[in-house]
Amino acid sequence: MPMDAKTVKLSLRHICQSYVVGNAVRDAVVDVSLDVFDNEFLVILGPGQCGKSVLLNIVGGLERPIDGGVFLDACRIEGSDPRIAMVFQKLALMPWKTVLDNVAFGPQIAGTDKAVWRAEAQKYIDLVGLQGFEKSYPFELSGGMKQRVGIARAYTGNPEILLMDEPFGQLDAQTRYAMEDEIQRIWQQEKRTVLFVTNNIEEAVYLGDRIVLLSNGPAHIKEIYEIGLPRPRHMTDPDFLAIRKKIADNMDLAI
Amino acid sequence: MNQPIVMSDMERRELLWKRIHRVLPFLSLGLLLALWVYVSQGENARFPSPGATWDRFLLIMRHPIKGLTIFGHVWASLQRVCIALICAWLFGIAFGILTGWYRKSDSLLTPLFTAFRSVPPLAWIPLITIWFGLGEFPKILLVFIGSIPAIVVNTHAGMRFVQKIYLDVGTMFNANARQKLFKIAIPSALDAIFAGIRTSTSAAWMVVLAAEMLGGKSGVGFLIIRGMDSLDMPLVLLSMIFIGLVGALLAIITQLTELLLCPWTRKQSN
Ligand SMILES: Nc1ncnc2c1ncn2[C@@H]1O[C@H](COP(=O)(O)OP(=O)(O)OP(=O)(O)O)[C@@H](O)[C@H]1O
Ligand SMILES: [Mg+2]
Repeated sequence: MPMDAKTVKLSLRHICQSYVVGNAVRDAVVDVSLDVFDNEFLVILGPGQCGKSVLLNIVGGLERPIDGGVFLDACRIEGSDPRIAMVFQKLALMPWKTVLDNVAFGPQIAGTDKAVWRAEAQKYIDLVGLQGFEKSYPFELSGGMKQRVGIARAYTGNPEILLMDEPFGQLDAQTRYAMEDEIQRIWQQEKRTVLFVTNNIEEAVYLGDRIVLLSNGPAHIKEIYEIGLPRPRHMTDPDFLAIRKKIADNMDLAI
Repeated sequence: MNQPIVMSDMERRELLWKRIHRVLPFLSLGLLLALWVYVSQGENARFPSPGATWDRFLLIMRHPIKGLTIFGHVWASLQRVCIALICAWLFGIAFGILTGWYRKSDSLLTPLFTAFRSVPPLAWIPLITIWFGLGEFPKILLVFIGSIPAIVVNTHAGMRFVQKIYLDVGTMFNANARQKLFKIAIPSALDAIFAGIRTSTSAAWMVVLAAEMLGGKSGVGFLIIRGMDSLDMPLVLLSMIFIGLVGALLAIITQLTELLLCPWTRKQSN
């Protein structure tokens, strides 16, 4: 895609967040400004506990920043917006709902007709490869399958922005590699603007169009990398390893 | 099937233990029965024998006490328990949701409830007897008082500690306050509520006996006191056996209902 064809979809402007802990004020995010392009796969990479989830929660409207704003299509948004959906770090599947009802949660809440939400949910259940498990409960699924449900749930309701907070952090290495390929396939089939948070450099370079490197907490942007590698990428490719090393040298160690 | 199954020593030992575990319950029941036979032997045994108890069972079936066979008395007790429990569940679940979910009502009402709860239900007997006498209503009221704490406490805890992450999912999809309560908080508290239902059921079964011992003409509590008054030990023992059986039955029924209504809780029971 040529440079000038990119349109800015989402902007963060001077996002700051701090919390009162005891009787001290502790910063979590300091002055993060960022443009995200339409249908871009943007990876936010940062060490553990640096403030990645806080940043993503602010974009998703789950918390209000103490300063700064989030702009979608150049309009400021407050609180949660139906055009933004999230895949949660801790799965957050509702154990009392079947796969189908978990995936259809958004449209159900919105009061959509049953026929409509059924079809909608089925479409994304098929997309993530869970057909046949519609009536299963989350406890009957493996870790990778649960995260597929989380991805399908975020897709139903047809959001324009997908936020993913370390979606594969709790998977074993094997499943993780498989899911990294899956998320690329899903994204290429159903293009959305994705903000993908991870603390894993390899995952970041494997998936991202661009990588936003965050510092140790309180989080601010250290550097933004453009990853020009063609997809599918290979983790043993010399170019891949070179970029990986460049970023690794610049990344803070988690305290 | 044609191939001989080769097992390692460990597997064989495991299989053996599995079989032993299956037999153990019967073994202990058998031991109990043997002990019963043993202590009830002899001229001046202080314990009725299995035979005498069985005869007492046949007798009460032929000559009912106060017009009721043993099953009639069990049924009378169960009716009281059911009425009291349904009231306790309706009130207790509503109260628990109210105080667990809304902070203001929690601060306002929970101290009152804590004060009420710290008085054991049986301590109400004198007051209730003075106010309402010995009829049907005071018995049911006593059972109600006995079963209310468990259901309130469990529902309250379930609603108080709804995981934030589920509510975040609601926020993400723009759920309103009502939807968060009914579609997220209450379903997520269901297993706690069921724990309350289970505990309150066994509490109710206990309190109904005490209530019936005070006086009246029916119920297993009445029967057991009647046996004591007339030194009819087989009747006492028979009542005890039925009390135990019904108690176990109630526990099994509530458990099965939970599995049926909340199939996802199978996870915990496995
Ligand atoms: N509501 C809050 N109150 C006080 N401190 C908070 C709150 N939310 C987050 N923090 C603090 O902000 C910091 C960043 O937290 P955050 O969850 O964003 O880290 P993270 O980068 O997502 O870590 P991880 O990689 O483990 O997910 C942490 O030190 C955390 O304790
Ligand atoms: Mg996080």
